[in-house]
Amino acid sequence: MERQSVSGMQLELKGITKRFGSLVANDGISLSVTPGQVHALLGENGAGKTTLMNVLYGLLQPDEGEIHIDGKAASFHSPKDAIGAGIGMVHQHFMLVPPFTVAENVTLGIEQVRPGGLLDAGRTRREVRELSHRYGMDVDPDAIVEDLPVGIQQRVEIVKALVRNASVLVLDEPTAVLTPGETQELFRIIRQLRDSGTSIIFISHKLKEVQEIADTITVLRRGKVVGERKPPATEADLAALMVGRDVQLRVTKAPATPGDVVLSVDSLVVPAAVSSVHGTPATASTQAPVNGLSFDVRAGEILGIAGVQGNGQTELCEALMGLLPVASGSVRLNGKDLTQATPRARLDAGIAYVPEDRREDGLVGSFSVAENLVLNSYDRKPFARGITLSLPTIAANAMARIKEFDVRTESPAAPAGSLSGGNQQKVILARELGEGTKLLIASQPTRGLDVGSIEFVHKRIVEQRDQGVAVLIVSSELDEIYALADRIAVIYEGEITGFRPPGVDAAELGRLMAGGTDLPNTPLPEDAP
Amino acid sequence: MRLTSLLTAATTASAALLLAACGSSSSSAPASGASSSSSAAGGATTSAPAATTSAAASGKFLACMVTDTGGINDGSFNQTSWKGLQDAAAANPNIEIRNIQSIPPNTDYARNINTFLTQKCGIIVTVGFAMGDATKASAGKNPDQKFAIVDNSYTPVIPNVNALVFNTVQDGFLGGYLAAGMSKSGKVATFGGQQFPTVTIYMDGFYDGVQYYNSKHGTKVQVLGWNEATQKGTFSGDFTNQTKGQTITQTFISEGADIIFPVAGNVGLGAAKAVQQADAQGGNVNMFWVDTDGCEAANAKQYCKYFITSVEKGLDVAVKTAVLAAQSNTFKGGNYVGTLANGGVTLAPLHEWASKVPAALQAELKTVGLGIASGQIQAPTKSPVG
Amino acid sequence: MSEPAGTEEPSSERSSSAGTFSQVFAKALEGNTVTVTVLAIVTAAVVGGLLAAFTNPVVLHAPAGDIIPKAWSVVAGTYVALFEGSIVNPHTVAAFFQQASLPTAVHDGFLGAVFNPLSETCVAATPLILAGLAVAVPYQAGMFNIGGQSQLIGGMILSAWLGFGVSMPIVIHVIVCVIGGFVGGAVLGWLAGEIKARTGAHEVIVTIMLNYIMAYLLAYLLSSPSLLQKPGSTDLITPEVASSAHLPQLFGNGIMRVNAGFLLALACAFGAWWLMNRTTTGFELRAVGANPSAARVAGMRVEHAWVLVMSIAGGLAGLGGTAIVLGTDFAVNPSNFGTYGIDAITVALLGRGRPAGVVWAGLLFGALTAASPGMQSQANTPVQIVQVLTSVIVLFVAAPPLIRTMFRLRATRARGVGTTMSKGWNA
Repeated sequence: MERQSVSGMQLELKGITKRFGSLVANDGISLSVTPGQVHALLGENGAGKTTLMNVLYGLLQPDEGEIHIDGKAASFHSPKDAIGAGIGMVHQHFMLVPPFTVAENVTLGIEQVRPGGLLDAGRTRREVRELSHRYGMDVDPDAIVEDLPVGIQQRVEIVKALVRNASVLVLDEPTAVLTPGETQELFRIIRQLRDSGTSIIFISHKLKEVQEIADTITVLRRGKVVGERKPPATEADLAALMVGRDVQLRVTKAPATPGDVVLSVDSLVVPAAVSSVHGTPATASTQAPVNGLSFDVRAGEILGIAGVQGNGQTELCEALMGLLPVASGSVRLNGKDLTQATPRARLDAGIAYVPEDRREDGLVGSFSVAENLVLNSYDRKPFARGITLSLPTIAANAMARIKEFDVRTESPAAPAGSLSGGNQQKVILARELGEGTKLLIASQPTRGLDVGSIEFVHKRIVEQRDQGVAVLIVSSELDEIYALADRIAVIYEGEITGFRPPGVDAAELGRLMAGGTDLPNTPLPEDAP
Repeated sequence: MRLTSLLTAATTASAALLLAACGSSSSSAPASGASSSSSAAGGATTSAPAATTSAAASGKFLACMVTDTGGINDGSFNQTSWKGLQDAAAANPNIEIRNIQSIPPNTDYARNINTFLTQKCGIIVTVGFAMGDATKASAGKNPDQKFAIVDNSYTPVIPNVNALVFNTVQDGFLGGYLAAGMSKSGKVATFGGQQFPTVTIYMDGFYDGVQYYNSKHGTKVQVLGWNEATQKGTFSGDFTNQTKGQTITQTFISEGADIIFPVAGNVGLGAAKAVQQADAQGGNVNMFWVDTDGCEAANAKQYCKYFITSVEKGLDVAVKTAVLAAQSNTFKGGNYVGTLANGGVTLAPLHEWASKVPAALQAELKTVGLGIASGQIQAPTKSPVG
Repeated sequence: MSEPAGTEEPSSERSSSAGTFSQVFAKALEGNTVTVTVLAIVTAAVVGGLLAAFTNPVVLHAPAGDIIPKAWSVVAGTYVALFEGSIVNPHTVAAFFQQASLPTAVHDGFLGAVFNPLSETCVAATPLILAGLAVAVPYQAGMFNIGGQSQLIGGMILSAWLGFGVSMPIVIHVIVCVIGGFVGGAVLGWLAGEIKARTGAHEVIVTIMLNYIMAYLLAYLLSSPSLLQKPGSTDLITPEVASSAHLPQLFGNGIMRVNAGFLLALACAFGAWWLMNRTTTGFELRAVGANPSAARVAGMRVEHAWVLVMSIAGGLAGLGGTAIVLGTDFAVNPSNFGTYGIDAITVALLGRGRPAGVVWAGLLFGALTAASPGMQSQANTPVQIVQVLTSVIVLFVAAPPLIRTMFRLRATRARGVGTTMSKGWNA
């Protein structure tokens, strides 16, 4: 199974149609992948990208259309057929066995057997090392997969495909789980693979990435190919193709007019919990996830907290909401000490919260949209009369909010879990952005959303600011920070490494995000506009 | 009804065991040989499914039995009682017999009795003291319905219930006397299934019989496993766990006992196994069977050579008599007490031991038996009869 | 752009968390439609019939040509007996009309005989419904209550003690005893909930252990004359409860045993539905059950909800025990708590976790129970076959994919190809 030098493979999809009941997920899609190219499939969630790739990988059988390889029709009844034909796939969620080593994972299913039935572990390890070296992947064959960072796990998946002689490699939303740095590393590897003759199908809904990496961009919308572009195409053009209308990629906003301090966080320390809300086990480190953090948010301004994921943002938000215990320091809202207040008391005090994980913390998936819209107000007037629920009021509220926030749902009675991510987020915003909000805390408010939904969410957040609400945005997407923040704070290992004005360049933010400290001549935090 | 959930098989199983033990009722004993052959017949006693409650129409007298949770093939008191019904049907072709087995764990005796009430049975026989309250309640509400109950009695008596109880302290006494006479080691042992009156009455009798032998012969034969004065002793915990019976018996043997008297239903089979093992290793150990003649009981007769005798309780005869009386309109309510005098309790034939038990001892047994029957010898017990 | 809600393309598998106990239960519950449940019952009836036929000696020993008719007559007899034993027996109806006059017919119990099967069905269903609610209600709040046994026993002990140990005027006495039964069960439910809320100990383990503790505690109490044992008795039984504490029989003091306990069970089922679906407390309990972290973020007190719902559930199971003590048995012995608390899981499963479903499931199992003696004595159906029948129903209900496959039903949820195709939320 020594990997041979890649002979380019011409892959063509011809008129692929795939229906699920009345839904046409793929509608006559044709696609031609040239050897040694990165071919991007761009489209919003629900456009049919993953379905198409599942057809290609033999997980689904097309209702119509054919797959051609080097001009000959091929039919894949299972992933095994597709792998045999030289197609490799790296799923969004990895298919690895966490407690196994890299080499064991790579060899799973194609175990090399020496005469006598013994596993030839040595050979796989050599192959992994060799591939890793050739493409600069830095993968240790003896490492245990669950100990590896996500970025490296993804490379293990790529190695897995390469060991199986993939000449077409499908990457399904590969950057969704990566930090900006890891993304750049991935792109470097992709380019090397491309240069050695491997075709890459790169699935994404992120305009920037596609621009950066792709040789050809095919845009899908609602199951159909709506256009093909070669970079450099303008982002606005691609976005319009994806969404079907012109999209405002960066919300326009007036300069902030900050008022009084609303939220005041002083020397906040959140110890490593035994378990967080989600019951995730604490890391072995004794370092407090939030380690003496201080900042203020004023009425009518947006403070953006930038940082690489995992630097205490989650714990900070949960501590601000009273979901995690605080070891020391204080949290004040309009001067009132809320450090030990219950979540309920904080909500009552006027804090609105858009949690990072909307499925886990923001919504009850099995509850109806109407119920989710009163998830934190079901027990007060007008939704409750004494101990009973006022169902008509709850329904009326749902109708009004669905209309106001343009939530796309079959009915108010539909389970929230059945909504698309963008619509789920709209439900949360519709619930949280009511009257009496003094502070809005939004964590990763547009994670996983498509372009159209991002625009909507950003507009609403700016709208709140303009109404005088203090807004705290926590995001690991620099684009989002730039789009929204009136002031930027950078978090690193539970501490703020610096405050910057919104115009600061990305290199400086990157330096702070990596733990760099304030330079002596940087402006003081409170001087920032 | 038992709705065993797949999800909780383990819990249910343990619960069921626990309950089976508790619900397992008053007495204990293996089957008689006769009933083993009749159990197949038992399955076909009632006529075709279509024949429902029309027995009265066909002119037959319906004799109906609610057995306890063990059912008519339990090799114990339920089976022996059912044999009484079968014997009655055999003796009088005008009698049709029916049976409902009470199902653990959610046992509801009243429901079973109710079902027979709606079927207009000529007599309803309930088996086991566990059914005492349900039978009493139903008899009170249906004064025209004839009932008989096995192993339970009422004070005051209920006019439409024939309560059949057995003074097994009497034959237990004889058994104790015989055991003391046969013991070489000077130690005999008994144990029960659970500490129910119907169990301990046997053990009281056995204990007294040994003491009586000691006083007559100036010996010092000891009884292991039961003390009548303190009412404390050894119990296996249920009427089914043979391994427990084996363990208990092995302990007794290691303590020097050479005659074992288990009063614990099928647990006695475990005791028999232990005796067989001891025999194979050259030990001279034997035992008694209880309730029925062990040498004729399907599940026990393989151990017949170790059974010096069996301490019997004549359930079948008493039930048969009650049913025939009800059919012939000579039914009398009140309590019937089986005794040595009326043959309701007795020591079984010695079978293989007829030649091994000294003639003198056999003669003494006869004398003691007559003494008890006539009341000259008192066989006291702390357990109420029934 | 009118993209409907369900247009996400099937995304890859979301999570593969371990299939815990409650997840298995959840799967069985949520996979069941009414159709599947009904088909499961029908299938079980067919399979049960075949079992009854081909375990019957008459059929087994019949000549080859005679097997089918014989088998048919056995199956027919079995189900006729089932019907007659649980709903109505035509013979008793006929006998009723053959009586000389209506008053004598009523007086001689012929009318009671007509309605006795239905009465027995209700009597058998009563504890099953109440204990079934004790599983279904906390399930909606994310708690898996295996402790029905312990709570039922708790209810029995307290209601029996109030019943025989305290003198009170009629009406008041029975009300006090019923409340006592609720409290007796609620205490045990509360204990399990409190242990979980304070220590995080899984309620499944805690409730199972409480079952053992209460069964043995009851045995101890019943063997202690100074505590619950009937004075002067060596039997393990409590004194009989005073007649003022009896739940009134609905149709007089005749053969029909159906009593106010059945009405209590129906009222509790309605109450449970109302609580869970129409009150703010129910909203909170359901939210905690469906997604505890979202509930917590929304300001709900998750631990408080656990304790509350387990207390309610315990009370319901306790009422199940109360219905036995005050409705039919009038005393507590070491076996009359049966396994209702365990069977309740099955009832809740068959009832698809909803109060109305629990009532129907309770009645179905009640009917099977009520008919069991008749099936034995009339149709010669072995006891075990009756039990097999109920177990087979449960088997088919617990395995909806089996029924779907057998009847080629479209899966209601997953579409596409198996687990990798589960519907994505994360569009």
